[in-house]
Amino acid sequence: MLYRTAELEGTDRSSGYQYYYPDSESLRSRTSSHSHSRPLYPPGAQGEHSPGDEAGEGVKALRELPLCLAQKRILSKVSHMKIPVVTKWQSWKLSKSKSMKKFREEVKEASHYLKLWRRALQKIGGNFGSGIQSYFAFLRFLVLLNFVTFLLIGVFVVIPNIVFRTLNLTSLETGSNASGPAECLHYNPSPQGLVYFYSYLLDLLSGTGFMELSALFYGYYQNSEVGVSSQFSYNVPLAYLLTCLFYILLSLTWIVLRSGSGFKLAVVTGDGDLSSYSMSVFCGWDFGLEGEQAARLKQNSIRYELQVELEEDALRRNAASRTLAQRVYLYTLRGVLNLLVVGLILAAFYCIYRASEQSSILQEDPSVKDNFFLLLLVQYLPSIVITAANFLVPTLCDIIIRFERYSMTMQIKLTLMRSVFLRLTSLGVLLYSLWNQITCNGAPHESACRPCEYNYAQYPANSLPSCSQCWETRVGQEMYKLMIFDFITGVVVILLVEFPRRMLVDHCSCKPLQLWGRQEFVVPENVLGLVYAQTVVWTGAFFCPLLPLINTVKFILLFYFKKLTLFQNCRPASRTFRSSTSNFFFLLVLLMGLGLACVPLGYSVAVIHPSFGCGPFRSFSHMWDVVPQSLTSLPKTAQSFFNFLGSQAFAVPLFLLSCLVFSYMAAMASVYGNNVAQLKAQLKLEGRDKQFLVKRISELTPANQKKSAGPSGSVVDISETRELWE
Amino acid sequence: MGASASQISKELLSEYQELTFLTKQEILLAHRRFSELLSKNQDSLTTRVPQEKVLTLPELKSNPFRQRICHVFSTSEEKDDSLSFEDFLDLLSAFSDSATPEIKSHYAFRIFDFDDDGTLDRTDLEHLVNCLTGDTSETRLTPEEMTQLIHNILEESDIDKDGTVNLSEFQHVISRSPDFVSSFKIVL
Repeated sequence: MLYRTAELEGTDRSSGYQYYYPDSESLRSRTSSHSHSRPLYPPGAQGEHSPGDEAGEGVKALRELPLCLAQKRILSKVSHMKIPVVTKWQSWKLSKSKSMKKFREEVKEASHYLKLWRRALQKIGGNFGSGIQSYFAFLRFLVLLNFVTFLLIGVFVVIPNIVFRTLNLTSLETGSNASGPAECLHYNPSPQGLVYFYSYLLDLLSGTGFMELSALFYGYYQNSEVGVSSQFSYNVPLAYLLTCLFYILLSLTWIVLRSGSGFKLAVVTGDGDLSSYSMSVFCGWDFGLEGEQAARLKQNSIRYELQVELEEDALRRNAASRTLAQRVYLYTLRGVLNLLVVGLILAAFYCIYRASEQSSILQEDPSVKDNFFLLLLVQYLPSIVITAANFLVPTLCDIIIRFERYSMTMQIKLTLMRSVFLRLTSLGVLLYSLWNQITCNGAPHESACRPCEYNYAQYPANSLPSCSQCWETRVGQEMYKLMIFDFITGVVVILLVEFPRRMLVDHCSCKPLQLWGRQEFVVPENVLGLVYAQTVVWTGAFFCPLLPLINTVKFILLFYFKKLTLFQNCRPASRTFRSSTSNFFFLLVLLMGLGLACVPLGYSVAVIHPSFGCGPFRSFSHMWDVVPQSLTSLPKTAQSFFNFLGSQAFAVPLFLLSCLVFSYMAAMASVYGNNVAQLKAQLKLEGRDKQFLVKRISELTPANQKKSAGPSGSVVDISETRELWE
Repeated sequence: MGASASQISKELLSEYQELTFLTKQEILLAHRRFSELLSKNQDSLTTRVPQEKVLTLPELKSNPFRQRICHVFSTSEEKDDSLSFEDFLDLLSAFSDSATPEIKSHYAFRIFDFDDDGTLDRTDLEHLVNCLTGDTSETRLTPEEMTQLIHNILEESDIDKDGTVNLSEFQHVISRSPDFVSSFKIVL
């Protein structure tokens, strides 16, 4: 009991109330009595501590004290006055750590200016809140990612190839000469015969014709090792493959690092539902907001959110008291509606699959080829269908979900999951349909594909050879078209939907229009659009090396367009958007997109036979074969080392070791979880003990009631607690 | 409109850098903005700026907690909530990007403690909610909603069940909120 009392006393004082009262002490008396307030600040700022962690940590602790500047200055003078006895080694270490800290701070300050669009993001956050700001920060991250990817590809693949072509450097053919059946070698995409003037526009929009044999697409690149000088030769196929591998690993690492802090937060706040009211109230206000209107809108949104949560609570209490019959009815209703949603999604997939098939059939149709607009429509048919599906199905799901009678948070999560599934899987369906066409439904030794093991001449053509002579370029073209169409749709929606909507709402005062109101900037939908666009780029970058560059430009333009529409046409969302856990969620979805993009890449590299007539891998039977082949040119020890790495003797122990590490981490996590639960229980117990003791004290010494409330917080608590008990 | 050209000396600048979370650029910018609030011939480093002038800053003007912020950071001996330059730096440091969550939660607690008694009791929480939703008759919550809300808040955060939220309970709630650090930020 005695021990408990002493502990509680210590806890009370160190909760920091002694220095909290500006009325009770003047500045001078506070600074001179700092010796009395010894237990108040962490021991690092005091005199008696180990000399090793003196200056650096003392200063760090000072900054983190919630005191005013004058008091901190006094404390720092005191701590500097104490001259610790350190050895030469320790003082050298100290001075090094100090200069290192200074250097790091200077670097941070310099990089502060290098941050792209820093002021623009600040302005957006000030006017619309941190939720919408997080969308633009995500967009900025993607711009940087694409730009770095392009730098890698440019330096190792594009520029060397352009240089080699212009200099006409001799190539040392690696591997067998491009041998293969005669039909497969034929590849000449340049248009022959009469060329209409609009065909250039068509070529620009769909990547055919003059664009096809440019550096944009896979078909341009040479398949050989080019001798730059007498000793050094540049292996183009190997560079191509390894660059692709490297930028995928780089993207993966960057995303994982970026989501690391968000992941920790998401795990720590996992049971955030338990304190949702306190959190909305304590953390509700965004102090970065500026301007009367923004503040008023924020107040409206906070009020709306609080009212909705209170209402939901009431609904939940009602729901808990539902009868069995009502519950059965509700669950069957939900089951039926879910089936409806699944049916809608499957219908969308089927439409996309058919559209992709029909597009390639119709492209060869002579009546279509002569008509410019029809040809353009047919070329873009898969993109149009995907965009339409991604617009229609979520709208229908929104309507359906209202009948399912979930709580608001559940509704939002479910809508988001459905949208993510739809977006990523529709792209997957398109890729699957392309794969079917290229490999003749997965049977590369069937009649149509037999000579070349891929579909070299899809449909019996007339004079013009079809582009599928080079299937990699075909895939690259599809991704290029998807990207262009996505951008055009975005700009068209902004110009033709959002601006007119605002003008209508502002100038026409009829009731339904006012109820509809201005466009709301819905962050999750926009972020999913970005993830979709980035997945397209990742899928296509192997087949269309300049795609990251075009995408960088596209995202930069998108930033300015979205900023324009945000400030001109939009109102802030009525529902506040929790940015940080959602940031982690969006990075997770981006990782899923990366995973999806790796599947066709891996399959193409490892399984499908490269085109005989084009590209850097035309002499190999699989694209991956370039790696083992170039390994044979390395010295013996390096070869055996790499062979060992790829063998089972290395993979199996590595797998076992990872399992061990994983189970250790899981054990530690459960131990920490237990600790946390125990500490929480202990905290509650201490509170109850405190109340009990206070009651005993007030019972035993009634004279203490007369004492005026001093600076100590515990005396105030006594009188308050007494009121509660009596 | 500007103050006399009392520039900050290098030693003072590095001292400020050590004792606050602000970078050199931020301190100089703060000095410039602070000097704009003073009239001519006033030394920026020693003069105190009255509360009304501080509240004309665009970053604070429409903040419902602006008076509390000035009150909490003011070290004025006349208790008039005026801010000196060092108080201003303290303010910006607590609201800066690099401030620790502990500092932020400590100052947030003091800002929300409207009656300065060291705990958040029912009246403090009511006052807080009214600031958040707007303090006019159309924007306040109904009394039933307010009671229910405060009951819920106390149930969630009051661990020792004394009817008030003290600093540690407040910090416990804040530590589990990922958005607090990014929303408790003022950048000039």
